[in-house]
Amino acid sequence: MQDLVILPSINFTEVFNTNKGAIYQSDSENCWYIDFAGKLARFDYRNLLKLKKAVYQIDIENLLLNSTKAPDLEIIFICACDHCYVLSILEIIALKELLQGTFVMLELNHIIFDRLHRIVA
Amino acid sequence: MKDIIRAKCLLSSDVETLINQQIKKEAHSSAIYLSMASWCNRNGYDFSSDYFFKQAEEERMHQLKFYKYILDMGGTAISPDITNIKIEYNSFREVFEEALDQEISVTQSIKNIAARCHKEQDYVTLEFLNWFFREQREEEYKARRALELFDVIGEEGTGRWQIDKHVGQIKYESEA
Repeated sequence: MQDLVILPSINFTEVFNTNKGAIYQSDSENCWYIDFAGKLARFDYRNLLKLKKAVYQIDIENLLLNSTKAPDLEIIFICACDHCYVLSILEIIALKELLQGTFVMLELNHIIFDRLHRIVA
Repeated sequence: MKDIIRAKCLLSSDVETLINQQIKKEAHSSAIYLSMASWCNRNGYDFSSDYFFKQAEEERMHQLKFYKYILDMGGTAISPDITNIKIEYNSFREVFEEALDQEISVTQSIKNIAARCHKEQDYVTLEFLNWFFREQREEEYKARRALELFDVIGEEGTGRWQIDKHVGQIKYESEA
């Protein structure tokens, strides 16, 4: 007899993608899944904002210009979040691009919601 | 796709950051007033010392009002760290000059938040800020009036003693 594994069905909506990764939203769980750097990680509202802040705060120009012999790696650790990223400069740039695109799309979704469902015209 | 971010928080991240900066400003203000109260007390100006103790309480209350507003709206309120509070002042008058500067800086900063709210059409926060504008009218009036006392009474002779006595009686009772 065959073992049947039933996975819970999760509906993802793709929010934004680049050739380096993608971010999906799950309406049923009120959270986002980030597919980046070889893993799929779940972020709730608070953690997504913390990730955004952490990534936006990295001074990329400074990383590119400094000539110390330290490895070009940045550890992104978010308090009270299960995930942690260890990224190279190129990956940081890619993640930042992914997040920027995502927040633009979320803002657009907010505007569309307002126009279609919330504002009495 | 659900609009999760809006469901979680009413404030935009920009407005939230500005209000958090204001919280720090109010806390800083409160700490400065406390320091002024200490200076006045040490130098024998007891009525002014009481006046600054009360001002410190008020600024603390403003800080908490902003703090709770952010939390009520679903944002993250940040408890500020306050450093570099001056301990000594050169003169009795200088204390009041700095108190007025402090109030002006608070008013300008709240005006800046309101300008941002207008831009984003955040009328909810704008309405919340109205209370502070009324309050700042009073605060600036009181600080300005205290400085006026130095001019009308004069610091010569028992002047400073007179000024100190009158500082405690300053009230703002405008019908406007």
